[in-house]
Amino acid sequence: MQYFLLTLLALLLLIPIVILIFAALKTRGAALASPHALPIPLYWGNITKILGMDTFWAMMRNSLFVMVAATVAVVTVCALAAFVFARMKFRGNNLAFNILTIGLMFPINVAILPVFLVLRDMELTDSLWGVILVQTAFAMSGNIMILRGFFQSIPSELQDAAYIDGCNTFGFFWRVLLPLARPALGAVAALTMVASWNDVLVPLVVLNSDKLWTLPLGTMQFQGQYSGSDIALTAAFVGLSAIPAVLFYLIAERQIVSGLTAGAIKG
Amino acid sequence: MSRKIYMFLSLLAILAFALTACGPAATEAPAAEEPAAEEPAAEEPVAEEPAAEPVTITWWHIQTEEHQVALWEGLAAEYMAAHPNVTIEITALENEAFKTKLTTVMQSNDPPDIFQSWGGGVMNEYAEAGLLKDITADLAAGGWGDTFAPGALGLYAYNGVNYGVPRDAGIVGFWYNTELFAQAGISAPPATWDELVADIELLKDAGITPIAVGAGDKWPGAFWWEYLAVRIGGKAAFDAAYSRSGAFTDAPFVQAGEMLQELVAMDAFQPGFLAATWGDEAIAMANSNAAMDLMGQWAPGAFRENSADGVGLDGKLGWFPFPAIPGGAGGAVDALGGGNGFVVGINAEPEAIDFLKFISSVDSQTAQAEIGMSVPVVAGAEVGLTDAMLLQVQQGLSAAEYFQLYYDQYLPPAVGSVVNDAVAGLFAGTLTPEEAAQQIDDAYAAELQ
Amino acid sequence: MQIGAVGKAGGEQATGFPVRAGDRSVIFFFLLPAFALFFIFLAFPIIKSVYYSFFDWAGFGPAVDVVWLDNFKRILTDQVFIKAVVNCLILIVLALLVQLPFSLALAMLVGRSLRGRAVFRTIFFMPYVLSEVITAAIWLILLNPMPARGFINAVITLIPGADPVLWLADPSLVMISIFVVLTWKYFGLHLLLYMAGLQSIPKEIEEAAVIDGANKRQLFFGIILPLLSSTIRTSVWLSVLGSLQQFALIWIMTRGGPVNSSEVMSTYMYRYSFVRFDLGYGSAVAIILLLISLTFSVAYLRLFPQRDHLSGL
Repeated sequence: MQYFLLTLLALLLLIPIVILIFAALKTRGAALASPHALPIPLYWGNITKILGMDTFWAMMRNSLFVMVAATVAVVTVCALAAFVFARMKFRGNNLAFNILTIGLMFPINVAILPVFLVLRDMELTDSLWGVILVQTAFAMSGNIMILRGFFQSIPSELQDAAYIDGCNTFGFFWRVLLPLARPALGAVAALTMVASWNDVLVPLVVLNSDKLWTLPLGTMQFQGQYSGSDIALTAAFVGLSAIPAVLFYLIAERQIVSGLTAGAIKG
Repeated sequence: MSRKIYMFLSLLAILAFALTACGPAATEAPAAEEPAAEEPAAEEPVAEEPAAEPVTITWWHIQTEEHQVALWEGLAAEYMAAHPNVTIEITALENEAFKTKLTTVMQSNDPPDIFQSWGGGVMNEYAEAGLLKDITADLAAGGWGDTFAPGALGLYAYNGVNYGVPRDAGIVGFWYNTELFAQAGISAPPATWDELVADIELLKDAGITPIAVGAGDKWPGAFWWEYLAVRIGGKAAFDAAYSRSGAFTDAPFVQAGEMLQELVAMDAFQPGFLAATWGDEAIAMANSNAAMDLMGQWAPGAFRENSADGVGLDGKLGWFPFPAIPGGAGGAVDALGGGNGFVVGINAEPEAIDFLKFISSVDSQTAQAEIGMSVPVVAGAEVGLTDAMLLQVQQGLSAAEYFQLYYDQYLPPAVGSVVNDAVAGLFAGTLTPEEAAQQIDDAYAAELQ
Repeated sequence: MQIGAVGKAGGEQATGFPVRAGDRSVIFFFLLPAFALFFIFLAFPIIKSVYYSFFDWAGFGPAVDVVWLDNFKRILTDQVFIKAVVNCLILIVLALLVQLPFSLALAMLVGRSLRGRAVFRTIFFMPYVLSEVITAAIWLILLNPMPARGFINAVITLIPGADPVLWLADPSLVMISIFVVLTWKYFGLHLLLYMAGLQSIPKEIEEAAVIDGANKRQLFFGIILPLLSSTIRTSVWLSVLGSLQQFALIWIMTRGGPVNSSEVMSTYMYRYSFVRFDLGYGSAVAIILLLISLTFSVAYLRLFPQRDHLSGL
């Protein structure tokens, strides 16, 4: 019964994804003529065409670069800040923390023009670094919260012990806390990866030359008013560009789950 | 405490400076940048020898179909080969993405050198904000301006100053599926509104969806109301409303709404037209799921792109002008239309204008016409226009005694989008014809204040 | 909201260790990158937006036409804005009454020891991994009104006599359709949170309750729900903020249409800033949205304070 319900639900949820995959494996004509039919015979032309496009691989590289850099930046910045908020007692700690959480209330689509102005003054438009900085800034709030919660859950006895062993605060952070926090850092990293990989507004506004484009911009282009009509090719592009994100998730899933779970266990 | 804050702020400043300082190194060829950071080419006379200062031209267009992209890229490559000092950076964006991105750079006073424009109200705002370059003198020199059809060129002028050149121009008309018309027993396309209504009934009786419209995208729906207003009120009604000696609440505009809602009431449009996009409209037409649609010169290309076989309606596609409305003040040859063009950003180098000249040459225009991408606006390029129906469109354009640019382009952008929204309300039945007219008039009055 | 932020907001008192010698520089340098990014990319844009919101400004050239609070007055009396607020509330209410209970029920169903639970978890979370652009594209195809194109209508019209449903074109249905898509995409995140929360409830407590004769209902309402309270608290908070800020999916799928029936605050803001070129007005909407989110957060965290710092997410 349990299995029946869950399986049924899983199948229902997968319908949209399955239809996408089917569409990618049809000829353009078949995708338009019979969009719901099984892709028989299988047609690999769309996939090979996309994989043969230099621009696809260039976008893949750019997306990967942005994703890796943004993830490293988010994990670093957030771990440092969260450590202070979680383990250091000083006046203004909570105030500072609350100020940073304002970021959650101000979504990027609301702020895109002023953000663009800042980037231009820093001469970071049409640069992948501009994208990375903005993505990092807007991903901070939530991730600092996750890490702070996790860092707080690490027993204070450990800190005492570390100090007694002669560690200074940085040493405790570096040698004790970070290794213990690996699941939470993994969760933060995985969620950042997904968000960065899927982000379209920031790259659209920041990047001009198509050499620097990321995959979501390519997706948008494929869906465009005139070219969006080749549903099969679009589906192939969309499907292929989503594969890395799905892979990262699968690899990082254990981390995410144990990160979230560990954070929930009493310290 | 204050000392700490001070220290913090100064560190921030240092950090900001450091980021700025390492910016250019990380930036691959900054595109539309401020003149100060640009190569010093502008100050010096441009030498013709190969040693000329390197110049970068940024060019944004909205052609994303494969063969169109290839055409533009080919032209850019050809130009760069002939002018080794020039680098052309092309940004090819889909329509909606283009608008979002352009708005951002415009609002930060940073226009590309050459970019897509539809002329009219939006362009005028850019011009007023000092974002566009005056190319009037360039057009006068060597007779460049004379190569264009005057009406089309005029769309890219504001207060007597030219800011750009047209790439194509056309009029909106009915594209119809001759096979489906034959199935419904319609022998000739309708010449009057009553005939159109009768044909709609015939099509419905034959179980055929009479009309496809992408009312969700708003502008395809707005064509209907605007064209009805053109036929009912003619030039006089629009001019009166525009100059405020009349108003958009005048009878012709209300009547246009009424007639539009009559069509909606008789189920002339495809199911779900309220959420449909122009893409849905094209798919419905291309696959013979609807008999006709009201659209501009780009429709046949879109039908081809959207059809299962890649052929579209070739061989069974027909075109007829918007039917006459007996008793209306507008003539049967008056036309609603518009076109595409390129305008020049304020920071553009002289090379950009030279390049613009190059891509609007007869050869380039002929090549564009040959692939059905443009209805040419340069004399001599019509030879490229092999498509019989595009020829009809072009003839319709040249025959028009009163040519009305689409309202959403002609009027200031804030008003144009209200027109589109209000007509969408007419389609949905949430606004009465009077209310829709009132909203448009209010928006226009507010804009003029 | 784009990222799946989980965690607690705003602890009530400073925590951790008293500052030791040399720690001032640790505090300073550890916070520096976060605050630098915050000031450059968040504080500055917020201040800019506040500034613009006092102007009647198309966004081109310098802003000169000061109108003070006129933009705010216009917004708060605009029927379309009120509609957008109502639509946001609809999304919030539906999320709280349908999406979250559904996620919790599913988390219970998967339980803690079901074989293959990782497989189900992965499948259920998959939509969250797909981008909003891709999600919108897929669902636009699924919801197409023509049975020949849209899968859902193709299935519906298999029933004799059933007419295709105009999921996105019918003003009275469009919010429901959007909610379904939002649920498809986001419930996996909440499911994951609840599964993590359930996992952290010690097995012994449940077993003890069962030995004491608690039935399933008592077990759920008496033991599980209270122990999950802080996870639920986080999940509700995220869900409400997400609903308030929902943008990309709705914009791509309906652009707030037909005729504003699916307008939410973000699409309304975007329409004025980028389509109607009324950036002053758009900025004022952005500020109102920020204030609403802030007010909600502060009120929520006051009403439901985290009882124990170390428990739950």
